[in-house]
Amino acid sequence: MKLSTVWLDGLWDRNPGLIQLLGLCPLLAVSNTLENAIGLGLATLFVLVLSNASISLIRTLVDDSIRLPVFVLVIAALTTCAELLVQALDYQLYQSLGIFLPLIVTNCLILGRAEALAKRETVFMSTIDGLAQGLGFFLVLVTLGALREWMSSTLILAALPPGAFIALGLLVALHQWIQGKLKQKPTERSVDQTNRRVRTTGDIS
Amino acid sequence: MTVRLTLFGLIASLFVGLVYVMTKPLIIEAKEQARQEQLYLLAAPLLANGRIASPVQRELPDDAPASLEHPLSITPIVTDSEQTGVVLPITALKGYSGPIELLLALDQQQRIVGIRAIEHRETPGLGDRIETRKSDWILAFNGLKYDDLAPKDWAVKNDGGQFDSFTGATITPRAVVDALNETLAYLAQHPVILEANP
Repeated sequence: MKLSTVWLDGLWDRNPGLIQLLGLCPLLAVSNTLENAIGLGLATLFVLVLSNASISLIRTLVDDSIRLPVFVLVIAALTTCAELLVQALDYQLYQSLGIFLPLIVTNCLILGRAEALAKRETVFMSTIDGLAQGLGFFLVLVTLGALREWMSSTLILAALPPGAFIALGLLVALHQWIQGKLKQKPTERSVDQTNRRVRTTGDIS
Repeated sequence: MTVRLTLFGLIASLFVGLVYVMTKPLIIEAKEQARQEQLYLLAAPLLANGRIASPVQRELPDDAPASLEHPLSITPIVTDSEQTGVVLPITALKGYSGPIELLLALDQQQRIVGIRAIEHRETPGLGDRIETRKSDWILAFNGLKYDDLAPKDWAVKNDGGQFDSFTGATITPRAVVDALNETLAYLAQHPVILEANP
């Protein structure tokens, strides 16, 4: 696995908020103000990087029978630490995030990365993946938060729950549109793919 | 593998415990500061030419309601010559998920100047409407005195009283109203508890 692919996947190609659509509950609920979005984005990034790193670190010590309990244990412990730290450093933020801070533990993005990558990649690779995916999530959350806070002074709908869905839908559409534009150009990649398809008919592996 | 799982459990608990011990003093300080800010906002109408005096500890008789802590820590609001009011903590024990901690500000006639939820674990979107940032519900008590209403009216509408409850969450407002009711009823008979210099 290439390092540049990991970065590109997290930030754009397979962005958790725009393509994988993981962790939508906090994404939609906490994006009403920029401050909340930054707070929850950073807390999620913190948990994701550390959970990816520690799960990768212990990957040879756990077999399939205890894999899930151990992963959940690691994520829950890290989330509790994140909650304590936010409470200690910014009590007001802690109060306005409320239940969504402890709910990071159920963010499927985190268990998803542990299962998809951290359980078999090196600690370095997993940490980079956590950073890339976490930053991708953070950027979408912050964009949504900034957009909704800015819009809400003129359009009250932006501050309400339906506004979150509509704004995220627009962001996803924008992402798809840019992707479409990028793909229209004949790139080396697409030539590569047609070639390979012809070659692999005889040899499936 | 069971042994390993147990070991991982122990390591994780140890780690969380360590962070807990490290952050505890900071958290206590942050909570105290948030409480002071709330106290100041609550007492604001009483502060016209007065100031917040330092808290006084009060021993309570055994028949005091459970909503008052023992000993009770009251914060008198005073001018140079007289007391203008008092702020005291009360606890609604019958919250939906554990106790609800409130701050109550009263003037010298024991009229409610304000009441705020300081700490609670009520359901987001339902019970948390006792917070002023979510709903104006708790402002309905402002300006009321125990004698203003018949005893049966100090209850939520579902119980035949005059205060609204929330759709889907009756327990939370009921806990707050009931705690307030028993506190005010008791204080009306024992006003000396709230005197800075009895």
